[in-house]
Amino acid sequence: MRFICKVCRWPSWLAALLLAFGPSVGWAETPSRIVSLNLCADELLLRLADREDIASVTFLAADSRVSSVADQVESLPLNRGRAEEILPLKPDLVLAEPYTTRSTVELLRRLEVPILDVAVPSTLEEVEAQIAEVSAALGRPDRGQAMIKSMRQAQARLGPPPEGPRPLAAVYRPNGFLVGPGTLVDEILRLAGFRNLASEGLQNHNGVLSIETLLWHRPDLLVLNSIEEPMPSLAHEVLSHPALEDAFPEMQRVVVHPALWSCGGPGLMEALAKLRSAAKRLAMGSGE
Amino acid sequence: MTESRGNAPMPAWLLPGLGLLVILLFFLSLGVGTMPLPLTGTLAALFRGESSLETLLLLELRLPRALLGLLVGASLGLAGAAMQGFLRNPLAEPGVIGVSSCAAFGAVLAFYSGISLTFPLALPLGGIGGAFLSVLLLHLLAGREASTLSIILAGVAINAFSAALTSLVLNFAPNPYAALEIIFWIMGSLADRSMEHVQLVAPIMLLGWLLLLASGRGLDALTLGEDTAASLGIDLGYLRLKLILGTALAVGAAVAVSGAIGFVGLVVPHLLRPLVGQQPARLLPASALGGAALLLAADLLVRLLPTGPELKLGVVTALVGAPIFLLLLHRLRREMAE
Repeated sequence: MRFICKVCRWPSWLAALLLAFGPSVGWAETPSRIVSLNLCADELLLRLADREDIASVTFLAADSRVSSVADQVESLPLNRGRAEEILPLKPDLVLAEPYTTRSTVELLRRLEVPILDVAVPSTLEEVEAQIAEVSAALGRPDRGQAMIKSMRQAQARLGPPPEGPRPLAAVYRPNGFLVGPGTLVDEILRLAGFRNLASEGLQNHNGVLSIETLLWHRPDLLVLNSIEEPMPSLAHEVLSHPALEDAFPEMQRVVVHPALWSCGGPGLMEALAKLRSAAKRLAMGSGE
Repeated sequence: MTESRGNAPMPAWLLPGLGLLVILLFFLSLGVGTMPLPLTGTLAALFRGESSLETLLLLELRLPRALLGLLVGASLGLAGAAMQGFLRNPLAEPGVIGVSSCAAFGAVLAFYSGISLTFPLALPLGGIGGAFLSVLLLHLLAGREASTLSIILAGVAINAFSAALTSLVLNFAPNPYAALEIIFWIMGSLADRSMEHVQLVAPIMLLGWLLLLASGRGLDALTLGEDTAASLGIDLGYLRLKLILGTALAVGAAVAVSGAIGFVGLVVPHLLRPLVGQQPARLLPASALGGAALLLAADLLVRLLPTGPELKLGVVTALVGAPIFLLLLHRLRREMAE
């Protein structure tokens, strides 16, 4: 019951928040050997904690194809979520995704290492709650609040989406995967003023859409990953098919790096700004 | 294989009939896709010079797929017939004896290393290199009078080895999606190919076809044995070179854009051989047309079947081809026992 007293000393809203998310393990006030087992947790950790308090982040954090904090990793030890990598670091706080690296997490739990579940959020509300929760666990609640505030300001600066009917957007990923409802991508598209093809235009599709079917639904905007994938694969070749290039002129396509909107963080506002300007472009184009 | 059957005339309808079948399947292939495209209306719009979503779908998605079905199928059928004549082995076929999987390995090297990004021709060249090496290796391994079985066993080893090398390269490839793409290279598919692929490989395949079709007379003579063929004035060295190069060009280029699709070169010559009177020179053009028809039909089937992700082409051709392979093996054993 030691941790309850610690919680008592924190501001009451934070205590309420912590209780709402139901952490069952206590952690030191400012943990100093923090390990993250998940990319989204890596990003929050690198942004919110002091560098010397971080013991290890995942190998994905250093991969600029998926990570928004790759340039901040530098010499930090990288892990692949294996127990043998984590135990020697003697972590005093482990950030983990609730559905991955389960065997490592179970082992750490048995050794009474404090674990904080960092789930992938699907709405901005959940993102803010997560930032507050993680920053509190890191002992840096003020930094979390500052991040939330700056994200809100960035969103306010963008103003409301353009008037008129909401254009249809499709987020097309390698191998022809569409991003569907219940994701941050879906939420950001909605906030930018778009309808998501995968959420509204299609029924019962299995996640993969052929180029032919995609074109058939005539989306107004094609959203691609960063196309700067340096090494080839058949999965990426789909995205540079000439039919896509001919069907979507420059005005009707936008590139959003997946690192911006796969996890909860300030990158979401960057993605939102990009899509908002694409929406304005489309609105002006159709108004002429 | 009796003399009377050997000299039986080829029915006059055979080549035109097969040609018509290929044209029919080609247009069916243009008409079938995930979305209902009014083919005649779209073709009419195309001829009026209009451009719309429909003409784009037709020209950039359906047309390359149908063209590649035709080109790849013809290459595999023709190469199968040529290899059976060359190795004098009814079971020889690019897929069975490892030529296709070696070609896939060469193409995989060229593609995933990034070389083909800056130099697109590297993709078919990689395939051709792999195919050339395997045909050469088989020729050396099999020697002059190799038994049917030893060629097939050599093929099994080449197949296993090149599949392992392909898997190795894919696992080392820097793109995280690469390791999952082995199924394309081993089973083959024509999904999401573009006109760029067609332009890249069509001239190479045509060159390979010319070399193989020009070997017809030599293959006819070779049915009588190498010594007899030589006494008939056939330059065996030149014939072998034409066959090895022709097979490498046709199969290597085909595999580089479609993956290794097996059994087409086995099934088609086997079905057509009784009709052409056992003469390789006649079997070659018939097998090219038959291969095109078979692959176009298989590619229609994978698009019409209501599977989740599209079925790979090699699955269909193996379902048809493997039983025929077993049947041929059974018949060969009986003939040997007699």
